[in-house]
Amino acid sequence: MGRSTTKYSHEFLKKEAMNIDNTASQMRKGVLEFCILSVIKQGEAYPSDIIDKMKAANFNLLEGTLYPLLTRLKNAEFLTYRWVESNSGPPRKYFSLTEKGAAFYKELEATWNELSNAVKAVTDIDASNNLNNNNFNNP
Amino acid sequence: MKQVININFQGRVVPIETTAFEILKNYTDSLGRHFANEEGKEEIINDIESRIGELFQERITKGATCITDDDVNAIINSIGRPEDFEPMDDAQPSAAASSSSYQQQSNTTSTGHKRLYRNENDKVLGGVCSGLANYFNIDVVIARIIFVVLLFSGVGFLTYIIMWIAVPSTASAEIGGTRKKLFRDPDEKMIAGVCSGIGNYFGINPWIPRVLFLLPFLSFLSRWGHWGGFWDFGDVIRFTFSPTSLIVYIILWIVIPEAVTTSEKLEMKGEKVDMHSIKNSVMEEMKGVGKKAEKFGKEASGVINEKAKAVAGDVQNFSRRSSGGLGNVIAMIAKIFAYFIIGCVCLAIFGTLIALIVGAVKLYPLKDYLLDGNWQNASAWGTLFFFIIIPFIGILIWLIRKITNSKSNSRMLRLTFISLWIVGWVCIVFFVSSIDKEFSRKSNLQDQEMNIINPKANKLIVTTSSTLERTGKRYRWSRFESFDEFLDEDTLTIQNIKVGFIKSPDDSFHVRVLKEARGFSRESANANASKITFNVKQIDSLLVLDEGITINKNDKFRNQNIMVTVYVPVGKQIRVNGDYFRKIYFNNVFNINDYDRDNDYFDDNKWQSGVDYIMKEDGLYTLDGRKADGWNDREDRRRNAKNNRSNTYRYDKIQDSLERRQDSIENRNQQRVDSIEKRNERVKDSLDRQLEKEKNKLENSNGVILNTEPGNLSANIMPGVMILPDIN
Repeated sequence: MGRSTTKYSHEFLKKEAMNIDNTASQMRKGVLEFCILSVIKQGEAYPSDIIDKMKAANFNLLEGTLYPLLTRLKNAEFLTYRWVESNSGPPRKYFSLTEKGAAFYKELEATWNELSNAVKAVTDIDASNNLNNNNFNNP
Repeated sequence: MKQVININFQGRVVPIETTAFEILKNYTDSLGRHFANEEGKEEIINDIESRIGELFQERITKGATCITDDDVNAIINSIGRPEDFEPMDDAQPSAAASSSSYQQQSNTTSTGHKRLYRNENDKVLGGVCSGLANYFNIDVVIARIIFVVLLFSGVGFLTYIIMWIAVPSTASAEIGGTRKKLFRDPDEKMIAGVCSGIGNYFGINPWIPRVLFLLPFLSFLSRWGHWGGFWDFGDVIRFTFSPTSLIVYIILWIVIPEAVTTSEKLEMKGEKVDMHSIKNSVMEEMKGVGKKAEKFGKEASGVINEKAKAVAGDVQNFSRRSSGGLGNVIAMIAKIFAYFIIGCVCLAIFGTLIALIVGAVKLYPLKDYLLDGNWQNASAWGTLFFFIIIPFIGILIWLIRKITNSKSNSRMLRLTFISLWIVGWVCIVFFVSSIDKEFSRKSNLQDQEMNIINPKANKLIVTTSSTLERTGKRYRWSRFESFDEFLDEDTLTIQNIKVGFIKSPDDSFHVRVLKEARGFSRESANANASKITFNVKQIDSLLVLDEGITINKNDKFRNQNIMVTVYVPVGKQIRVNGDYFRKIYFNNVFNINDYDRDNDYFDDNKWQSGVDYIMKEDGLYTLDGRKADGWNDREDRRRNAKNNRSNTYRYDKIQDSLERRQDSIENRNQQRVDSIEKRNERVKDSLDRQLEKEKNKLENSNGVILNTEPGNLSANIMPGVMILPDIN
């Protein structure tokens, strides 16, 4: 009996973990494009630079994820690139925003602001409720 | 102990452990599978692979002898495995850490040197210029201007082609491409290793490029002394090619990097592009297609369908493959040829236009002698500006726009130029037709005959009044000198004169002068012909002709021409002095067919100035018994003239000059003898007269007749006269 319980709980935990992972990655994925575009918006960028900048902001990203994303954005004409000689190895692709990309970025920015405000507001309500509860409880 | 192999990864040779290679291969295969359904799959994989290549390069330039398992794993972790891509969990802190440390390393240790690539993104032809501009950090426009300037000397063209072929393109990032790198080979060098590097690159013996470089250079040296023959095309070729090889060598020396490190030397030798490697890559592709076909097949759920798809895939793949590999090469060669031909045509047109402009400038002084009325003048100017200068400017502008890569709206510009050029066409049609009309009718031949006294010597020398032997009026710098020479303030002298010799019907010389001109009607042509003044004078054995026909601005040039026929009795000698009558024959330009009837007898009487001829029953002969033949005689004369001019390879110089001196001495002697004979004649005449007078006197006075014959008397006098002053 106990054996079956442990087995069940194990599977449940595993499933839970995957869900959390999945949700987290879904959230990341949503803002990833926005982040990359904003990095590129600051100036022409080489993929490694983008990863470095993201990393500096504690946003870990694999190159294997970045390259397909850049290609997709480029194919959607949000990005353009030019070849630049590198000191080591083959020439590098340096990406920059197109006009279309800039417009797209503005839209994303607006959406993000709305979203983050909304999220903040929602979580703030939560926090203030907690605070209120605490206040009620304390006296 | 591990085996190390060389692989060609992203266009560079990488020494790698066999196990590491297996890991790498599995990884790239997994990437291929992962992105199989992704749009732009090739590009993504390419990007990742070139990143891997960059990381490999870093390891090697940092001093690693080869790529190890650990290296490959570290790189794979930093980039991420396919299964880590989509879900993107953060469960790989180690990978992240190693990646970040890696990046820092790459930033601090970028000590490798720059590479020269052709820039595919900003190119006019092959991207060589923009690649060079990138490499040297200069503006593309400057690089292009330098190349265009060099192009005119032939140097730029060769260099460009060589670099186009040898320098890798930025877009040449083929997976597992078998491209070699062009390096200078320091191990086998003679001067800088350029030739041995080229030999390595093309897989040939380095002596082949060496000989190719040396051959023209040697011929250049050997011909250094006398490449003055400008119109000799062979000389031109040699002239352009010989210093070119030297300059090309120096350019290549500067541009091609030397293979210093082991990996560079490996890259230089590279993997040979042969049937085996092509077969390998094709086989690999086939395998991939097989897998894809399988997948398709399952979706279609039919064995037959599956097979068909596989075949279709095969075919499609094969066609893609061939168009990608061999097709590219063929396309590139075709492109080079097309550009070469277009370039040649453009250069030819450009050159012609420049020549026309120069010609127009040089012909400008003649304008007033040809053009009649405002309309013709206007159309001439119109032709010059709209037909010649406009396309010249157009090509210049096109070239400049091409160089600066100007993308602005050129439609208006093009329309303007084309419409202006159409105006030019109208002008030239009007101009040519009006000029043609002026020359449309031919005059009657106006005949003028003149008897001449047989000279004492058996020889008649045709010469010219030397009105044109003006000093300081000779411009030797162009071929249009003749016009300057013949142009005076308001008169133009044209040497539109033909001289022919035919057998005299009797035993004395005759001269016949035929005049002819053209005009818009027969009357005007006749009027033009009658205006011709041409003097023929005889001074004993000299027949002095005018140097040319003088035309003033009112008369205009209407192809006035003169035919002088000298009737020479059998047994008499004839000779034309100097360079006369071989300068310009407008006849030949304007009315070749007019003289058919005359050409027959002129042809029988071919002669060359400066050569003595004797008239025989069946025509002219040279003194050494050869039948007169203008062409051969001319060859003789030309050879002599050439020898006289250049004193490099002449062994018979002294003999020549002696002969010439002898010639002139003979001439002078002849003249002296002539004049002495004339004096004798005069003296004899006067003596005869005196004698007659004396006789009469005597008869009148005493009727005694003395035996004094004139011959005796003159014989008595002769010795005194015969004491000639220095004949030499």
